[in-house]
Amino acid sequence: MADAIQKKLQTELEKYQQIQKDVSKSMSARQKLEAQLTENNIVKEELDLLDSQNTVYKLIGPVLVKQDLDEAKATVGKRLEYINGEIKRYDTLLKEMERKTEQHREVLASLQQEFQRAQGLSVGKA
Amino acid sequence: MASKVKMSSDLLQGVDRLKEEHIKVVKECQSQITHWTKLENDYESLQERLNTLPDKLSYDIMVPFGSLAFMPGKLVHTNELTVLLGDNWFTKCSAKQAQTLVEHRKKHVKNKLDDLRKVVKSFQDRAGFTEDLKKMANDGDFVDIREEGGKEEAVTRGKHRVAHKPYSKPKEPYMVQLEEEEEEVEDESVNGGNSKGVLTEEELWARLDELERLEEEQDERERMDSTDTNGEDTTSSSSEEEKEADAGVTIQVNGHDQNGDCAPASHTSQVNGIKAQLDEEEQEEAEEVGNGLPTIYFSHTVEPKKVRINTGKNTTLKFSERKEQKEQAKRKKKNGKCNGHAVHEHHKITTPADIYRVFVDVVNGEPVPRKSILKSRSRENSVCSDTSESSTADFEERRAFVNRTHSHDEATHSDTSDGITEEDSPTGISLYPNGRFEAFSGTVIEKDPLPSMIPHLTITPPALPTILERKQEEVGSEVSQEPPKRVSKFKAARLQQK
Repeated sequence: MADAIQKKLQTELEKYQQIQKDVSKSMSARQKLEAQLTENNIVKEELDLLDSQNTVYKLIGPVLVKQDLDEAKATVGKRLEYINGEIKRYDTLLKEMERKTEQHREVLASLQQEFQRAQGLSVGKA
Repeated sequence: MASKVKMSSDLLQGVDRLKEEHIKVVKECQSQITHWTKLENDYESLQERLNTLPDKLSYDIMVPFGSLAFMPGKLVHTNELTVLLGDNWFTKCSAKQAQTLVEHRKKHVKNKLDDLRKVVKSFQDRAGFTEDLKKMANDGDFVDIREEGGKEEAVTRGKHRVAHKPYSKPKEPYMVQLEEEEEEVEDESVNGGNSKGVLTEEELWARLDELERLEEEQDERERMDSTDTNGEDTTSSSSEEEKEADAGVTIQVNGHDQNGDCAPASHTSQVNGIKAQLDEEEQEEAEEVGNGLPTIYFSHTVEPKKVRINTGKNTTLKFSERKEQKEQAKRKKKNGKCNGHAVHEHHKITTPADIYRVFVDVVNGEPVPRKSILKSRSRENSVCSDTSESSTADFEERRAFVNRTHSHDEATHSDTSDGITEEDSPTGISLYPNGRFEAFSGTVIEKDPLPSMIPHLTITPPALPTILERKQEEVGSEVSQEPPKRVSKFKAARLQQK
């Protein structure tokens, strides 16, 4: 009895850890996105500071590719949109995972109790 | 006391931990701040450089060559800068523009620094507060108010109130006490309305008695009503059947199916209490009869000895009575109108005494009043199996078809004639006591595709779904013509089924 519960506990724990790992992963991804967001915001603002005579380049691989200023602005705007979308996505994902971890935590707690009880019983029997 | 010490130590530990965390956060923020201030300084110097850079057309400088070496060089195009904006975006701009960009970035850095400083301040405050908390806990002037949920609570109150025992008059002192703690005793005050004590109690009981009486009366009336309707009912069973159908009541007439003949009807087939079965039957019957009436047909055991059927009635309970009546209704139908000479004396119930008349034993064709309608009669003459048929089924029916009482009553009239009909029924059936059939009721015997199945006993499928009464009936009729030996095989088949 105790063994079965222990096995169950083990698998549950693994699942829980997996989820935790996922959470931290998406957390760091989200942080990266946040950093990119601020960076791109700065870029956008600075692009706004430039005027039309300035040439804008994009570093692609080892080369600087010349770009039109308006084009660059549009690209950066798109990029910002994308990043914002990603952040939102990660937010929902994180919320979902939060819920899951909560559930798992409850299950784990109950299992642990059960396990302890079972152990106590077996010990008492022995 | 010990617990208090422990508590405070717990508290201390908690506070320490909290402080640690706060300090950690503050430290992190501090390092960030140093980072950003360095950046700020860099931007400051950059700005200065940019200020002076375009002053000359060219500069003689030492160009760093790797990390170790420098080489002399010349800086030209002093007003032409390529600036990394971030995210791999570059732009070529003048020193002046670069300055504005730097300004912009400095602003950003400043914002960042402000934020960080705020965070640091808040956490420092918190750390200070935890410090205070610790101090307070140590001083002992301030104590956490903690309440531990325990079982002690029950013990604290001096005297326990004991619930009144029914029919016991409250003792005088107790009543006084009641008066005193009126507010606490809510239910008392609700019931009694006030502290009048004994009087109130009496009133209460009086009221209860009255209610009881009312209830009884109502019951009586209901009973009377039902019997009355029974009495009026003199229609033939078939028409009654229709009537019932019209009334929308689910019908369970214990009649034969129309195409069945008398002989097969006389073997046992069980009234199965199981609703699903009944429903299915209903459907089946409705289809086959063709008139769309949801009619269910039952056939019943015939007693091996020619005992009066109405002996069955003795099973006291209303249920069994009703059931009996139903059966009789069926039999009447089976026997046709020739049995019209039904006895009508029994059914008018106007006084309680009349009830006894309903429960009569017919001995030698004469009704003999029963001594007790509550006790079941001795077994001698109640070999009749119908009575012992599953009372559960009966009960079920009763519940489902309470409205249907009138049909039963009519049935009673044909008792005597029924007795006669039973006599010519085949004897083989006696081998099927009802109990058995009850157990058997979980199976269906398909009649049509394999009519020979029962006699040969080989095929009884293991998991037959449900019994359709009629089919069983027919099968039963076959069986009933079989010699008893076959029957035992049949039993064997049943066993095999399990």
